[in-house]
Amino acid sequence: MKPLMLHGHERAITKIKYNREGDLLFSASKDKKPNVWYSLNGERLGTFNGHNGSVWCIDVNWDTTRFLSGSGDNTLCVWDCQTGKVVGQLETNSSVRTCSFSYSGNLAVYSTDKALGYQCEMFIIDARDVVSKSSQENAIRRIPINGPRISAILWGALDETIITGHEDGEINLWDMRTGKKLNSIKSHKNQINDMQTNKDGTMFVTACKDHTAKLFDSESLVCLKTYKTERPVNSATISPILDHVVLGGGQDAMDVTTTSARHGKFDSRFFHLVFEEEFARLKGHFGPINSLAFHPNGRSYSTGGEDGYIRINTFDQSYFDFHFEY
Amino acid sequence: MPVTEEVKSSWADEVEEEGGALPPPTEVYENGFKILTEYKYNEDDKKVKVVRTYKVERRIVSKTIAVRKNWAKFGDSSDDRPGPNPATTVGAEDVFMQFISNKEEENKVEEDSLDKLKSIGDKGVVKCRNCNGDHWTSKCPYKDTILAGGKVPDDKKPAGVPGAPGAMSDLNKPQGSRYVPPNMRDGGNRRGDSMQMTKRDDTTAIRISNLSESTSDADLEELVKPFGPIQKLYLAKEKLTNSCKGFAYVHYKFRADAAKAIVQLHGHGYDHLILNVDWSKPPTQSN
Repeated sequence: MKPLMLHGHERAITKIKYNREGDLLFSASKDKKPNVWYSLNGERLGTFNGHNGSVWCIDVNWDTTRFLSGSGDNTLCVWDCQTGKVVGQLETNSSVRTCSFSYSGNLAVYSTDKALGYQCEMFIIDARDVVSKSSQENAIRRIPINGPRISAILWGALDETIITGHEDGEINLWDMRTGKKLNSIKSHKNQINDMQTNKDGTMFVTACKDHTAKLFDSESLVCLKTYKTERPVNSATISPILDHVVLGGGQDAMDVTTTSARHGKFDSRFFHLVFEEEFARLKGHFGPINSLAFHPNGRSYSTGGEDGYIRINTFDQSYFDFHFEY
Repeated sequence: MPVTEEVKSSWADEVEEEGGALPPPTEVYENGFKILTEYKYNEDDKKVKVVRTYKVERRIVSKTIAVRKNWAKFGDSSDDRPGPNPATTVGAEDVFMQFISNKEEENKVEEDSLDKLKSIGDKGVVKCRNCNGDHWTSKCPYKDTILAGGKVPDDKKPAGVPGAPGAMSDLNKPQGSRYVPPNMRDGGNRRGDSMQMTKRDDTTAIRISNLSESTSDADLEELVKPFGPIQKLYLAKEKLTNSCKGFAYVHYKFRADAAKAIVQLHGHGYDHLILNVDWSKPPTQSN
């Protein structure tokens, strides 16, 4: 395959995300401008200029009209996807680590870091209410997290629950209406870097710093499968059409200079969803992969790396011809 | 793609145009391809022509996607022309997925190589040309007992030699495309071995050197005949000119005659040259 290499960021990629149809690919990096690209030809549609710090999290709503981004400059921004203009900005006490639109796109959840004397907190907001210079006081629900901060967030089934992944590896399920913790599980031993659902949202895969990725049931939080590697996993994604999981990772950023790309630690690694066995690898980045996303049609996937590049990999026929023997 | 709106070219292009002398960039649409030609100066101030070819594809997509495809670019990309900007979008080099075969296959491969090793061990690295045994030909226990025929009678086969039966069955195998040396081929045994058995006895041979160029076979014969009966005469000749190379080998019937010839001829003046005659020495490296 001949990947497309997108070089629109000046610093490490933090998060990439496709919209629902998969024609647009949104990307955020530690520089201040999230980008949006046409996934088909890699053409850049635009940049969202306005943040003043690293952008840690992004999301796009159901019909690709609004784009959400949380940054280290203590703001959460809602943008218009078509024009790239800020629709609303929300000031927070500390940097915004995670954010996510609900399925409807009307609600959104975000969490802030434990810093500057403030606790980690999770806020549920009405995304339509965010106007210029909003305050975090307007949140529908405000849930303080007494403990390790949230490092990954997902909406549960029917927009009724929220799943949070924490710095110490804990996964919690919250009732969005009451703010009560419904379920909690500590299966991971280290920070959860990323969580992504499968196509219908019944399961989600975590990517953890403890060198594993695990598959959980969204409702019961039962750990179904474990994918083991020998390096921290930064991101994991489930194929929407095949029983495949792709893992991306590498060592901590501080160890990068002492490791060569030849060691194969920066490959995307393909695991079988059910049998937990690795069956393929794909080279690409010169540094760890920070974020992975499958195109909703399952025929291509993208990776964003610490090296600042985004690569759109469109699968060859050989990928579809490959039959996992069992 | 919005063609109606005039798209500003990027500032980099404008600067280049002001530099003069450079032809303006061109865009040509040709049977499904867009060919973009640009001119610029490289680091050495040399003019460079950059030709980029894009494949123009028409895809049928849902309405919402089609609408989004026509959105105007914004932010840092607002000045970009339609189509991918080479500054931000690069086609990376080909990469291939490395499929990891599952464990069973790996084991299989290992077994294969093991089998190979085993079979090699059976055959043995050394093989006797006489009896196909597991030893050097020179150390063959049947070296002296077998005549030119070379095949070991079945009852005389070395019982204790491992691998010999395997080797024999090897011989009987239908011969495929594998190379078989002539002396191993069916019917080839006699010939191969007979050549070996009729090996000349070099003990009666002398070497005469420093012969003049004009020496002929007849001259040589005349020279060496007086000392005794001669088995074989060899005068080294230039292939093209047929003139003497300056040396010759003479095989006498009897060693005494050869010795006599050496004594007589060594230092003998012949055709304005002084001859050098000695025993013929076998080649230093023997097979």
